[in-house]
Amino acid sequence: MTAIVVGASSGLGRALADELARRGQVLLLVASDARDLHALAADLQLRHEVEVATLALDLGREVDPGARILAALAALPPPTSLLLPVGLSRRDDDFTLSAGASGELLAINLHAPLAIIGALLPSLRETRGTIVLFGSIAAARGRGQNVAYAAAKRALESLHESLRQAHAPGALHVQLYRLGFLATNLTFGMALPWAATDPARIAPGIVRRLGKGSFARHLPRRYALVALLLRSLPWFAWRRLRR
Amino acid sequence: MATSAEPRGLAVGEMRLASFDRQFAQQVRVQRPDRYRLLDALPADMPRIARGAGVSYVAASFGNEAVSLDMRGFQRLLAFDIRTGLLCVEAGASIGDVQRFLLPRGWYLPIAPGHPRATIGGCIAADVHGKNPARDGTFRALVEELQLHVPGRGLLSLDPHHDADLFAATCGGLGLTGTITRATLRLARPPRAIALRRVAVANLADGARVLREAANAHVLYGWHDGQAARFGSGVINVGLADDEAEPPRFDLSPARDLPATLAPLPLTVWNARGIALANRWLRRRWCQPGMTALALPAALFPLNDARWYFAGYGKAGLVELQWLIPHPRFEAFAAALAECVARTRPRIALLSSKLFDGRAQGLAFDGKGIALALHLAAPAAPAQHAFCEQFAQLALAHEGRPNLIKDSSLDASTLRAALPDFEVRRLALARYNADGRCRSELTRRLAL
Repeated sequence: MTAIVVGASSGLGRALADELARRGQVLLLVASDARDLHALAADLQLRHEVEVATLALDLGREVDPGARILAALAALPPPTSLLLPVGLSRRDDDFTLSAGASGELLAINLHAPLAIIGALLPSLRETRGTIVLFGSIAAARGRGQNVAYAAAKRALESLHESLRQAHAPGALHVQLYRLGFLATNLTFGMALPWAATDPARIAPGIVRRLGKGSFARHLPRRYALVALLLRSLPWFAWRRLRR
Repeated sequence: MATSAEPRGLAVGEMRLASFDRQFAQQVRVQRPDRYRLLDALPADMPRIARGAGVSYVAASFGNEAVSLDMRGFQRLLAFDIRTGLLCVEAGASIGDVQRFLLPRGWYLPIAPGHPRATIGGCIAADVHGKNPARDGTFRALVEELQLHVPGRGLLSLDPHHDADLFAATCGGLGLTGTITRATLRLARPPRAIALRRVAVANLADGARVLREAANAHVLYGWHDGQAARFGSGVINVGLADDEAEPPRFDLSPARDLPATLAPLPLTVWNARGIALANRWLRRRWCQPGMTALALPAALFPLNDARWYFAGYGKAGLVELQWLIPHPRFEAFAAALAECVARTRPRIALLSSKLFDGRAQGLAFDGKGIALALHLAAPAAPAQHAFCEQFAQLALAHEGRPNLIKDSSLDASTLRAALPDFEVRRLALARYNADGRCRSELTRRLAL
C-alpha cells in the first residue's frame, strides 16, 4: 500500500514523509525539484529501508498533476493515503498581485489538491483510503493580507465538506487539519506572536490517525481557541486590527 | 533584506548568534535553506558564510555583515556502500547522527570532534581533529569527494584529482571557498569497545613522552592540572581497541547530545576555588593506574557529559587557547609555560594535550608535535587577558602553530607571526573568494 505526500521536500511534508517511512510505508513523494526529491528518497531508503518513488512536478504550472501522479503510481502498490501538505504564500498577497501571480497561488493552494484528489478518488475509494487536507489559521477570518492564500485555504474547507458529504462513513476517510504557525520556510524570519511548532512534533499524530475516520481539527490544538477568538471579534473590532 | 515583493519561503530572518565560547555575539541575517533552490535564491553578490550547528568556539559562521546560511536542513544520507565503507551525506548532517547510523552497520567516522552536533560541512571547513590525530590525521583524510555551492557558479563537484586546488582549499578553508553541500566520506571499522589505560604523569614533558609512545592508540589525549602548584601533572588516556570485551551499555540517543547552545549559570563556577575542587576530584578519579572498558560512543563524544562544565563558565564565557608545539621545542616550551603560570597564576579550568603527526596544509591545525589546549575562565579579566597574550608569545617563541577555529583571543598579527607563509596561504584561499563575499567575524579578526 502506498502513501502519497505532495509537497514532500520541505516543512510538514518532509516530516510526514519521514514519519511514514519510519513506519515502513511505501511512498510516492511529489515536489517541485528533483534534486530535493532524490536526496530525500535516498535518505529514507537508507535509514528505514522502505520503497520510495519520486515525482518532480511544478504544481504552479502543471495542467493535470493528477494524471502525472496516477502514471507514477502504476508501478507501485495501490494508494491508501493521499497527504497534501502543499502551500505557497507571498508577502505581497494584498490585492497587488498580478493575475499570473494570483493564479499561481490558487494553482498550488487549491487547484492542485482538487485535481489530484479528482484523479486519485477512484483508487482511494477502492482501498477505503484517507485524504488529508491542510488548511491554515490564516483562513479563520479574511483580512487585507494573504488574500488569495486564505481564500484558497478556506476553499479547502468546502472541498473537505464536499468529500465527506459525497461518501458514506468508512468508504473514504477525509481529514482536514487547520494548521497554526509551523516552523517552516514560510514562517522563518517572521515576527510571530508565539513560537512556531516543529513539524516533526505534529507529524506522528497525523500519521497515526490515517484511516481513523473523517474530521476537521486545528493543529496544534490550541489554535482552536485562537480561531474561536478571531471569529468572535465583532466586525468593527476586526476592522480596526488591519495593518 | 526581505522586501514586500519577495515570495515568502526564502527563509531569511534575523537572529542573535553567539560563538560557543561566548566571546562574540551579533544580530545577523540568517537563511535556513532546506531545498536546493533556496541556495540559488540569494543574490550571487550577497556576502555570506555557511553555518552548521554553530558549535565552533569562535565566530566562524556569522558576522561581518554576511548572511549566515544555516545548513542543518541539508542533513540527508545520500548513499552508503556497506561493503566498501563509503558514505555520501549532506553537509548539514551532524556527526552524532551519522555515527548513530553507521555504528549499528559496522562502520564509523574515526575522526570526530567532541561535540556531536558539529556538522559534516563544519568538520570539513574547519578540518577538525578527533581523538588521536597522530593516528587518524585530520578530517580531510576522510573526504573522498565533496560538492560545493559557489555563488554565480552553482554546484561544483571536487575531489583530490578533479579541481584539486579548490578541493584542498575548501578542506580547512573556513567556508571561504563557498558552501559545502555534500561529501563522500571514507569510513573505518569501529573497535568493539575501548580499553582505556590511564598513565599518570608528573608534568607536561612526561606526558609528551607517554603520548609519543602510544601513537597508535585509538584514543589518545592527556588531562593535566593547570594550577601553578601542580602544573602539568595529570594523566594520559590511552584507548586501545578491545574486540574481545562485551561493550558497556551506552545510550546513543539524540537526546543525550550536548545542546548547541547552553544557558550559562548566573555566576562563574571556575574561580580559583572551583578549579581546585574540580582538579582534586578529577585527580582522585583519573590519576590511578589501571584499565577500564569504555563504550566507543562515550569515547567519541566526551562533551556529552560536559553540560555543567560549559555552563559553569557563566555569562563571561571562556577562551580556548590551542597551539601545536613542534617536538624539538616542546620541553623548553613546557618549562617556560610552567614558570609563566607560577608567576601569573591564571585561572586554567582545563589543560589537555594531544599528539599530532601530520603535515600542515593551508591554515589548518596540523603538523608534528604536541598540541596543548587551555580553557580559561573570564578571558576579558585583565589578568586572564594578559596571560593569553603571554601564552601566545611563548608559543610563538617556540615555533607554535595556533588553532584558528578554537581561539577567540588570536589576532591577525599573532597569526602572521606564527605562520611565516601566511600571505601565501591567504592568497591561495582568496583566489576562490576574490570579491570577499564569503566572510565571517573570524575572517575579519584574522584579516583573511
